[in-house]
Amino acid sequence: MEPTREHDPAVEEDAEAVETFEPALVLEKKHPLAIRWMHWVNFPVLFTMIWSGILIYWNDSDNAYRHPHEVYRVGLGSLTLVRFFPPWFYKAIDAPYHVTTALGYHFFFMWIFAINGLLYVAFLLWSREWKFLAPTKASIREAIQVTLVDLHLRKGLPPQTKYNGAQRIAYSSVILMGFGSLVTGLAIYKPTQLHWITSLLGGYEMARWLHFWLTISFCGFFLVHVGQVILAGWNNFRAMVSGYELRRKDEPSIEAERSKS
Amino acid sequence: MDQNIEVKKQSVRRTRRSFLVAAAGAAGGYGFYRWIDRADEDQLLQEPLRKALNVNAALAKTVFDERALAPTYNVSESRELRVNGNYGLKQALVPGSYRLQVVGMENAKAHPKYVNDVTAWDYQYVAEEGKYEGHDTKVAPKAEDPAPNILPAFAKAMDEYKKAQGSKPPRGQEEAGKSDSTLETGTGGLLLTMDDVTRLPRHEMVTQFKCIEGWSEIVHWGGVRLADFIAAYPPAKNAQGELPKYVYMETPNGDYYCGYNLKECMHPQSTLVTEMAGKPMEQFHGAPLRLHMPIKYGYKQIKRIGLIAYTDDKPDDYWTKLGYDWYAGL
Repeated sequence: MEPTREHDPAVEEDAEAVETFEPALVLEKKHPLAIRWMHWVNFPVLFTMIWSGILIYWNDSDNAYRHPHEVYRVGLGSLTLVRFFPPWFYKAIDAPYHVTTALGYHFFFMWIFAINGLLYVAFLLWSREWKFLAPTKASIREAIQVTLVDLHLRKGLPPQTKYNGAQRIAYSSVILMGFGSLVTGLAIYKPTQLHWITSLLGGYEMARWLHFWLTISFCGFFLVHVGQVILAGWNNFRAMVSGYELRRKDEPSIEAERSKS
Repeated sequence: MDQNIEVKKQSVRRTRRSFLVAAAGAAGGYGFYRWIDRADEDQLLQEPLRKALNVNAALAKTVFDERALAPTYNVSESRELRVNGNYGLKQALVPGSYRLQVVGMENAKAHPKYVNDVTAWDYQYVAEEGKYEGHDTKVAPKAEDPAPNILPAFAKAMDEYKKAQGSKPPRGQEEAGKSDSTLETGTGGLLLTMDDVTRLPRHEMVTQFKCIEGWSEIVHWGGVRLADFIAAYPPAKNAQGELPKYVYMETPNGDYYCGYNLKECMHPQSTLVTEMAGKPMEQFHGAPLRLHMPIKYGYKQIKRIGLIAYTDDKPDDYWTKLGYDWYAGL
């Protein structure tokens, strides 16, 4: 059957053809206010923890003459590829001899980091937003798909509402990493009073090692996260500030899924 | 489509408003950082940071109350402790000239070892200059001497102090300068010999020594419990009938000094050390008497203790003066 002319908008409104093709948009709530605040508070606070942490680690490199860092390296057996951190790096960030200020910041901002993180998790549970965040059965397959797309080995991201599988895995992991940093930090901070935590982690030096590598992992997360946010574009980034995202009306609705649960 | 234009307008309104709030939040956050960074310093640390350390210390004392015992290890896991820092030890002490000054003891005047002025005791050092300059593994043997890392204010105060001292050797010649808690001339107290210390019950343990620099070593210690020492030489109670809150220790020349809460000194693992690794302790480790406290970082574990004083005034502390935490509890 030949379609009637009336039902063909492209022909009907010739002059506004470009605009007519734009699919209907809706403005939808993506991130609750509390999550946005806690996310952005965490950013400079975690930065302060990492920065002061590096200045604290520097203090051990002062012993490099007789006692080089034995733990914080990448290597196999006696072969060391990278030692954390090389002198040029410390020099570049002006690390030497700022350890006392760094300790002061570290043991002040740890409270903000911990309280903000605990509130974040509490809010996720209370608001049931965790359902968007927790990995599902499909998450691993989706995460592989997303990775392939990012490596230009595949086209077409899997359908998603708030987060895809890769995001679910990454964001859940980073919460666990934050928790890990608190626990390993506590084990280093009070290794006598809380020696049972330190012992469970495999001892004081092991706790330090874990604390260090969690920090490096945060840096890795940060790089990938920022890269992905840039790739995802303005609409996505803006939603982390304003809370609202523009989406096509025919795309799956976050609000609908939110109210379902 | 008109509807899309309306949606986009709405989006622009929301975006504008939320980015203004975000900018205000960012400015507030930066202001908070600036407030900390530019704050006046309390012992070389910005006041808000010093306050945070003190709050943490108060909280730790309340929550943990120094109850826990540090894990102990087998002797086979221990090793020779690295030497780190020689403040107060740069000249070899003549062992026979060693006395331990004890100040603030109960009924001290009745004790046979009481003297009217403990500060008058003359410690003898090995005479030849340059023969014994301490032992510090941080310094490479053939490295050129780096410029001394002394703040101008300290250097100036030091010069004035040296002038005022005349021919007497000045106390507190290291970076942090003279201790505010060093004894006034004419302070009475006991002058103990090592026999007075070592006749207390012998105590041995293997615990981990933790340096705030970031390294740790398991060490085999021998000596006497500080708690036993305090029981044998008990502190005098104040006018209200209370025990003094603090204990102060320093090296014989006053170059290095530490303050503690009395409670921490009563911890069963706080040890006055005379032996390390199963051998009599070397001078560069603090012979004849040093402190080991597994509830504290290494910078509180003073070597070559010349004075133990009970006091109600919070004692001065070498590394606290240079920006570190006073409590340093683990």
